[in-house]
Amino acid sequence: MGTPRRWIFALVGLAAVAALVLKPGLPASVTQDTRSVYDLIESLDSGAVVMISFDHEASSLPEVGPLGAAIVDHCFRRGIGIIGLALFSEGTAAGYELLGRRASVFGRSYGSGWIYLGFRPQYTSAILGMGENIGDVFNLDYEGHAVTATALGSRVHSYNDIALVVSVADGSMPTYWVEYAQARYQVKIVAALTSVMVTSYLPYYESKQLAGIVAGLRGAAEYEQLLGHPAAGCRGMDAQSAIHALIAILIIAGNVQGWRIRRSRGHGEA
Amino acid sequence: MRDRLAIITASVAGVFMTVQYFLTAPAANTAYRTILSWMQVVFAFALVVGVIGVLRLNIERLGKRRSGWFYSAALVAGVAAMTILGFVGGTDRGTPFQWVFDHWQAPMQSTVFSLLAFYVASAAYRGFRARSGESTVLVIAALIVLLGRVPVGEWLSPVLPRTADWILNVPALAAKRAILIGVGLGMIATSLKVIAGLERTYLGGR
Amino acid sequence: MGLACLPATIQLKDLRLGSQIAAVGICAIYMCLPVCADALALSATGSPPGISGWFQASRTPELIGTGLAILALWLAAFIVRRGKKLRLRSLPALEAIGDALGRATELGTPVLYSTGWGGDMGRPTTMASMTILSDIARRAAEFNCRLLFPSHDPLIVSVAQETVAQAAVAAGRPEWYRADDITFVSQSQLGYAAAVDGLLARERPGAVFLLGTFEGEALILAETAHQTGAVTIAGTDSTIQLSFFLVACDYTLIGEELFAASGIAAKDPAVAAAVWSQDWLKYLVLGILVIGALLAAAAGVDLSKLISH
Repeated sequence: MGTPRRWIFALVGLAAVAALVLKPGLPASVTQDTRSVYDLIESLDSGAVVMISFDHEASSLPEVGPLGAAIVDHCFRRGIGIIGLALFSEGTAAGYELLGRRASVFGRSYGSGWIYLGFRPQYTSAILGMGENIGDVFNLDYEGHAVTATALGSRVHSYNDIALVVSVADGSMPTYWVEYAQARYQVKIVAALTSVMVTSYLPYYESKQLAGIVAGLRGAAEYEQLLGHPAAGCRGMDAQSAIHALIAILIIAGNVQGWRIRRSRGHGEA
Repeated sequence: MRDRLAIITASVAGVFMTVQYFLTAPAANTAYRTILSWMQVVFAFALVVGVIGVLRLNIERLGKRRSGWFYSAALVAGVAAMTILGFVGGTDRGTPFQWVFDHWQAPMQSTVFSLLAFYVASAAYRGFRARSGESTVLVIAALIVLLGRVPVGEWLSPVLPRTADWILNVPALAAKRAILIGVGLGMIATSLKVIAGLERTYLGGR
Repeated sequence: MGLACLPATIQLKDLRLGSQIAAVGICAIYMCLPVCADALALSATGSPPGISGWFQASRTPELIGTGLAILALWLAAFIVRRGKKLRLRSLPALEAIGDALGRATELGTPVLYSTGWGGDMGRPTTMASMTILSDIARRAAEFNCRLLFPSHDPLIVSVAQETVAQAAVAAGRPEWYRADDITFVSQSQLGYAAAVDGLLARERPGAVFLLGTFEGEALILAETAHQTGAVTIAGTDSTIQLSFFLVACDYTLIGEELFAASGIAAKDPAVAAAVWSQDWLKYLVLGILVIGALLAAAAGVDLSKLISH
């Protein structure tokens, strides 16, 4: 490993730890994108049903976990029913654990306030199948009950009965939700993504194929501010600020060094 | 003949799925839903095939003490442990399966994911060099977006976040759209080649 | 005993083929039964509706687009089969493959090929990548350079094994093929990334090919490959990961260049003709964009409303 790389890695580690310890707490304004999603969920009737798909792996939990939690909190606070599922196998346990934990905080009982359908492989057929009949894809929920036997499950048969689908994702799954669910069944899709993915989904957002985008830890921090309950998202922004600033300094340092090398070569040739 | 059968099956399935998209006939809808169920079943069996394959390879490596056998032992032990925990204790909240996922798997995967932060820093230091006019524009845009998307940028100047948003919503979006359109057309062409039997990579190059 | 009762003209391979046909036939009947039942029920209630009752009028724009795409591909294949030569601009990444393979062979190191974690075998990008894999495998077999192919999908592994084995036969070196070098490692994204990183660190390949659909593991693989000193040639349809590949890799195929490279690597003019059809469709899309922009600016007409639901 080259020397500069070693120092760069050390500096990144130090910057993250220092920010988390010192907690500068720089304020972050709420962007229009996050506010739109908040307003969208706020505008739903209290008896509406939202489907939240945990399409992420355990690895991105530090980034999309707070985002998913904020959206779940908002839905539970408004009395909106949540149908959870996962189209990634690892998202299954993460989503079930999150919904169960937040439901107990808000006093929402399983079956009437929320249900969890579990995981299905082959996301294409799962997304398309739920547009026809959710029971065709999930006849039993994650806890082994017949979906139609639950109070919430008996009200929902397809996307027609769902006000909104939220895909909490760290990969391309929102694309498939747009291509299959939104294009074919016109269900509203909100993408809750990692920050790095947001530019790829802006085209879908601008063309209204996505009803909303919330991105990464920044989006989680903004959503927590709107809910009036700062949590993991707000705490993580300090570390993110520090590392972004460090990378900017490294880019400038790299260019200065490159300029000095080119200049000394120019003097040497002269 | 076997290949011809596979090509005909792919073509017929492709044509049917294309045609049924435009039909409202109940018969087409029923067939479509049946096919979707079959896809789920086939994929589930493919998962089993994959697990059996990786277990076979690693058990053989473990048995013959080939290089890296220790890692194979860890893999086999992990598969066995999670399978037993899942079947015996269940997968509900508070079960050993969930505990292992929350306290072992999630942190380990997050740790590997966190490598990206270090690699982005080293790649940025290495790659963002202003050697020409275009690369200078790229470096300046990168600096603006890096700082504008976090609170420290707002603290430095309110212009930074506004400029960062403009960069993301106008020139970057335009470039993304262009690439998306190109990729989409490429996918359409490849899919049509599969339906027409011209593309046979799924047969293994025959 | 049963086989001995069969006529002597029937071979064992015919029986195998016959059982395959029977299996497909049984599946088709099973799938058609509900369809037939619906059709019978419909006919019992009265005559079926006319074509206008069966067609989803709201999807007319998609139908027109599909028709144009089919026409473009057919026309391109027709023109190529009539003997017209297809001229494509050079792709530096594709041209660098030979040098990369040569370098790995001289160093006595293997090459590593990854189609990424983001796609399955049904994805067109993965199919395009497999065509390039076939070409690289044939050349690696000719050079007697070992090829490593870790994958996250059992179906991709299965297809890759067939592809590489066929490539070895085509190169005249069937003994070069090693099935254990083409393995399923993990379905988990970071598990896959860790496994490939481990391979890169242990085997230190001279060349690394990252061609397919990648997600978060892209930069991890590209940076690790760079650290081990490998020449990296990448290509992906993911607009996010393209940024990382452009910074971290030596050569990059951008977006549809991957599909064009696949057409070139196929060495089948009809397959390569699809690249032509892509370009024609692109000109069509460009024309619609220009017309739409002019209509919106000059007359305030929103062309997108005509082609949306």
